[in-house]
Amino acid sequence: MQKRLIIFLVLLLTATVFAAGCSNQGQGPAGGDVVKIGWIGSLTGDTAVWGQSELNTLELLAGELNASGGLLGKKIHIVGYDTRGDATEAVNAVKRLVSQDKVVAIIGPNASSSAMAISGTLEEMKVPDIATVATNPKVTVMDGKVKPFNFRVCFIDPYQGAVAAGYAFDVLGFRKAAVLYDVADEYSQGLAEFFIKTFEEKGGQIVAKEAFKSGDTDFRPQLAKIKATNPEVIFMPYYFKEAALSAKQARDLGIKSVLMGGDGWPSDTLLEMAGDAVEGSYFVNHLDFDDPEVQDFKQRYNAKYGKMPELNGYLAHDAFMVLVDAVKRANSFDPVAIRDALETVDIEGITGKIKIGKDTHNPEGKEAAIIKIEGGKYKFQQKYAVTD
Amino acid sequence: MNWFYIEGVLILAGINIIAVLGLSLLTGFTGLFSFGHAGFMAIGAYSAVYFGERMGLPFAVSVVAGGLVAGLVSLFIGRLTLKLKGDYFCIATLGFGEAIRLVLDNVQVFGGARGWPGIPLKVDLVTVTIFNIVGILFLMFLINSRHGRSMIAVREEELAAKVIGIDTYRYKVISLFISAVYAGIAGGLLGYYLTFLQPKLFGLQKSTEYTIMVIFGGIGSISGSVLAAFILTVLPEMLRSFAVWRFVIYGAAVIFIMIARPQGLMGGKEITLKGIAGILGIPGRNRKTARSGEV
Amino acid sequence: MNQILQQLINGFSIGSVYALMAVGYSLVYSIMNFSNFAHGGVIMLGAYFGFFFITLFKMPFWVAFIGAGICSMLVAVLVERMAYKPLRARNAPFLYFMISAMGASMFIENFVIATIGPTFRTYPQIFPAEPFSLGGIYVGRLDMMMFLISAVSLIALVYFIECTKLGKAIQATAFNPRASALMGINTDSVILTVFGLGGFLAGIAGVLFGMKYTVYPQIGFITIKSFIAAVFGGLGSLPGAVIGSFILGIVETMVSGYIMSQYRDLISFSLLILILVFKPMGLMGKSVEDKA
Repeated sequence: MQKRLIIFLVLLLTATVFAAGCSNQGQGPAGGDVVKIGWIGSLTGDTAVWGQSELNTLELLAGELNASGGLLGKKIHIVGYDTRGDATEAVNAVKRLVSQDKVVAIIGPNASSSAMAISGTLEEMKVPDIATVATNPKVTVMDGKVKPFNFRVCFIDPYQGAVAAGYAFDVLGFRKAAVLYDVADEYSQGLAEFFIKTFEEKGGQIVAKEAFKSGDTDFRPQLAKIKATNPEVIFMPYYFKEAALSAKQARDLGIKSVLMGGDGWPSDTLLEMAGDAVEGSYFVNHLDFDDPEVQDFKQRYNAKYGKMPELNGYLAHDAFMVLVDAVKRANSFDPVAIRDALETVDIEGITGKIKIGKDTHNPEGKEAAIIKIEGGKYKFQQKYAVTD
Repeated sequence: MNWFYIEGVLILAGINIIAVLGLSLLTGFTGLFSFGHAGFMAIGAYSAVYFGERMGLPFAVSVVAGGLVAGLVSLFIGRLTLKLKGDYFCIATLGFGEAIRLVLDNVQVFGGARGWPGIPLKVDLVTVTIFNIVGILFLMFLINSRHGRSMIAVREEELAAKVIGIDTYRYKVISLFISAVYAGIAGGLLGYYLTFLQPKLFGLQKSTEYTIMVIFGGIGSISGSVLAAFILTVLPEMLRSFAVWRFVIYGAAVIFIMIARPQGLMGGKEITLKGIAGILGIPGRNRKTARSGEV
Repeated sequence: MNQILQQLINGFSIGSVYALMAVGYSLVYSIMNFSNFAHGGVIMLGAYFGFFFITLFKMPFWVAFIGAGICSMLVAVLVERMAYKPLRARNAPFLYFMISAMGASMFIENFVIATIGPTFRTYPQIFPAEPFSLGGIYVGRLDMMMFLISAVSLIALVYFIECTKLGKAIQATAFNPRASALMGINTDSVILTVFGLGGFLAGIAGVLFGMKYTVYPQIGFITIKSFIAAVFGGLGSLPGAVIGSFILGIVETMVSGYIMSQYRDLISFSLLILILVFKPMGLMGKSVEDKA
């Protein structure tokens, strides 16, 4: 028995070393004319759908860039590591990226928790990170101070919550709202909190605030309770799988209220899963899907991977564009020079205008798009920005 | 390989070793199987950071105090569940771990599910090593004492242990307490290493991983637990280039180890200087006692 | 009043989902005395089998349904052969079985992510979507279907166990493996049968889940609830598993509906502990003392 174990361990070790060797060879001569850009995010675990879409996007864009001559005369190589959505893994992955792979910048992760946990390492090794969908305000600003190496291309929870509540109250004229949220999910908790805050400040009434827990598939007990309070709109700030299931179950219970969601909603899978249940619903999005540039990216992605990108793909696209712009203007692959250039990025991305604020490292004044689901399609309503 | 990266992995391995040592006492020396140790870790982590950052206690004190809070909670849980057997205890701890997580998700003072960012970095390799040495020495001392032998008796033959007058319930409570303290300390260290805490970090997956480490190391062996925690922390890092296949391989490895060597790496034995000498063929005075005298 | 009735129906429907999982799990427990954590993985595979049979091979629903059950049966048997039999051969304690089961479950989930991908997949609409409505109380058609299918398969299972020779052998082995082996019962084939049955139930449960909740690699995670339900009812007891599932379903619903949905799991957990404190073997558990 012991012998079998030893043989197995030896085999495993050989395979590991072999794989490590391969991946190094695949990257061509280090230094030289290849520059590495890191990516971290979830390739496995329950948020794998979004992580894989990000990595696919980056590989697509890097390939296209390399085919057209590369960046500053060098080829780009994307090194992506899986975090399972876990902050501890994210720290390990970033340490490996910055010290062993010597990447010049990192894109991702797709979770605020991971983005917050890696700040210390980024600052220690002086490598900038551009988060894709990390929406917690504290990712880039902590205790009033901006974190020097953390950037992002998405808008933040308070903004999105305010947009959703503002649109529901001012444009749609709703006064009674219910909120169903995922108590174990950071994104959902953040959005719910800021939606409620703005909606109540405007004079609206939150008639029910109910929660479920990540991994749940049945929401009828909560929905039945919400139904009894008779809201005009139900805010559902979570990802599209749960959104589709809860929308279907809400209709099964005879709930006729308008449903509203955040940027966790947009996906072709939502329409496929929920069908009629989400008809007439609204959600806050980063972009208008009918925009020609968006369509173009979608086609290219589909041609390479045979499926449509998820929302994270669009944001990873813009994170890559932001990085390319910064590198070009810095005219250097020095991580600190890239960081400095990132602070003055002002480009037109497919998710809108991205002008990084020096004091916040957020895209400033990025407008949200309101999308309505009509006839089983996403219909762009208007750009909507909160003014305060 | 770069030292910066290796150091990070080693710190994490050290933290895991502490948690696994505690669980090893519970599982390995009393035969109880817990799926809730991540819960104790969470309690330790949040209390340690609370003591250190909100109440201003020094780092080492707050981490140990965090461990003790986890221990206190374990006394309460233990009183209710330790009378249960086998799978019942195991499911009860599983439920407990999930419940702790749910409570933390709701406590907005600690950031709820959105986490607690901005904890200062206070853990380096030296700190972790010191905690490890103290932890290992204490456990060795405990196991070689009268109490330790009683605990082993509980694991081997609970009925016989009862007959010869060992208060089996009391020893179960003690071993759960100590293992929870270890888990709590590991949690505190993790918080101060990651500079970030979130209930999601302490999910069922974490408890499962620790249990796998204990079994992999071999029930009832301290050096086995240390070795297993080390290997199983490093293995996923070595497999990192496999991307999505990483945990397919990890899962297969777990099954294979159970099949090929169910007694674990060390199979209840300990690594000792004499033992190493024996394996290397250096004639010792009495090799046999050197290898079986431990535990 | 309406709301209470509606919540009761919701609770029953959630309970019947748990029951379908808990039975297969409890069945294995009754023979092997360990928690088969790979059960969730088999359920997930069942959901995928059903999905691909219907969409790729254009099979009619009932064929796909049974087909998924049979394929899952094979998977469960394969898991038994690979991960448990070698342990059984050397009389390993239940801990090793559990670890092996966890390895298997990790393997299955990540294997699916690596090969099929993490994308959510939707079953085509098979039963009409609109629910029955009875005076303001709504019952989903799929829920009724699930309830019926659960009931039918449970009755078939009970018939099999009570009235066939093989079923009697299962009962005997569950009661006392050593004695039944001495009486000429082939323990190995009994165990295979049990895993096969458990796998079949997992497969059809998977298809039903997939239809209700869509298919994705983590769908097996809900089985944790059914483990808890089985402990509620008493491990190893089939009626216990069913009753435990319904109780858990209704308790969860009532807590969410009338107390606080934020703390639902905390309250269900406390209830679990309470039951175990007063009735340590669950509601209907077989009261077997561990070899202490």
